[in-house]
Amino acid sequence: MISLRGVSLVYPNGVRALDGIDLEIGKGDFVFLVGHSGTGKSSLLRLLYREMFPSSGDITVDGIRVDRLKRNRVPMLRRHLGVVFQDFKLLTDKTVWENVAFALQVTGAHTKDVRRQVPRCLDLVGLSHKSRMYPGELSGGEQQRAAIARALVNNPKILLCDEPTGNLDPATTTEIMELLGRINLKGTTIVVATHNQAVVDRMRRRVVRLENGRVVTDEERGYYFLGLGQDQILSG
Amino acid sequence: MDWGKIRFFLGEVLRNFTRNAGMQLTAIGTVAVTIILLGTFLYARASVAHIASDAMSKITISVYTTPDATKAQEDALRTAFAKDERILSSDFVPKSEGLRELRERMKGQIDTSILTENPLPDKFRIKVRNPEEVPAVAAALRKLPGVESVDYGQDVVARLLQIASVARRAGIALIGVFIVVAGIIISNTIRLTVFARRREISIMQLVGATNMYIRLPFICEGLIDGALGVVLAVAILAIAHATLVPKIALALPWLQLSAAQVDTSSLVLQLFGVGAAVGVVASWIAVGRYLRT
Repeated sequence: MISLRGVSLVYPNGVRALDGIDLEIGKGDFVFLVGHSGTGKSSLLRLLYREMFPSSGDITVDGIRVDRLKRNRVPMLRRHLGVVFQDFKLLTDKTVWENVAFALQVTGAHTKDVRRQVPRCLDLVGLSHKSRMYPGELSGGEQQRAAIARALVNNPKILLCDEPTGNLDPATTTEIMELLGRINLKGTTIVVATHNQAVVDRMRRRVVRLENGRVVTDEERGYYFLGLGQDQILSG
Repeated sequence: MDWGKIRFFLGEVLRNFTRNAGMQLTAIGTVAVTIILLGTFLYARASVAHIASDAMSKITISVYTTPDATKAQEDALRTAFAKDERILSSDFVPKSEGLRELRERMKGQIDTSILTENPLPDKFRIKVRNPEEVPAVAAALRKLPGVESVDYGQDVVARLLQIASVARRAGIALIGVFIVVAGIIISNTIRLTVFARRREISIMQLVGATNMYIRLPFICEGLIDGALGVVLAVAILAIAHATLVPKIALALPWLQLSAAQVDTSSLVLQLFGVGAAVGVVASWIAVGRYLRT
């Protein structure tokens, strides 16, 4: 579903954000990207939805060669992906329903599809009863649910999450992760970039650890710190 | 027809428009000022052109025959005039008629009774189809046999032709300047509204809206700014036209403003075309800059 081969990303100022990344993510996988801030987690996600362009290497997402994608084809790629952020990126002057519908409407979807898909997604994230409220009237967890509903409304095969629980308390974080788990069960491939140890350790999913722009460990059913050594876990 | 889609789109345009109402009013106002200048200018230009061509169309060429011209020569001249495509009409004015006209014109200014004999030659009064061809036609007529001299008010014609051409050239340059200025103003306004909506634009891009789709509401905004600016300008121009033109015509009768029948409906259409085009192009550029970065 997602494939990176020898992907490097060098910023114009010479900083090497990613350095020869090889990564294969299969259909229906749930993958954590972990590592300290500035190790290239977000950069890697941005390459996947073509917010950035790799300096070298091949990137394939859902059969699309992202590194060779022409600018006018980028919207087509984005419709195959859902993206969720730490700061939700909701429009504050639109209701929850309008925010979710917006993602369909701006791609020129038919009204009858909007009427069908929006309630389905709001139901999935458990926000049907608050569909007429504005983001400012919702809790952080509810806002993130609205953002997830928006990310899912195009029926993407892949959901990319960049620190989805970064602004949430532990209880809400658990709820959101459980929601992502349910979405994954329906067959959606999910990639979560996070530095939340508790989340990773509880979920026991595949963990890809980045350090200085390289993949240092890649474990099925991993822990946040596995592969670093026992004493580092104890002292860290 | 998907009315929900259309309603959503129009809602987006309207929301954009009302959210930055102050800015929109500024843009509309500046467009209106520009269009008023442009409109006044186009009107003045049309008036000048009309007055010039009106004056030119009244110009006749007087072809004086030699005193010893024979009847056959005069007939030859008549056929020559009739054959020339550029000549609209020719009248023969015998010298007795010419003297009578002269007396009429000089009445009260000089004592015409001192003219005991007729000093005038016979002449033909020629009207030319296209005023700009007067000098060429006159030159051609001068060469015909039996023609003593040709007169058409050379100085006046040269001056009028010059005025018409200067007005035309200055017009094109000034119109260009006006349009560029209006474009820059609209473009800046749209850029501000684009900036105010950068969050929405980034989300639109994130969920896969095409650049064309993102652009469209802003283009409509530019179009509305341009069109409303023109509406305002045309309203002001219409009032000014109704109140000022009669006064000017009264104060400066020699200007013959009433004779200058400017086609105001086509002028208004032109202004709308300019306003709309400037709005669309300016907003296209404004959004384009944002979408690329």
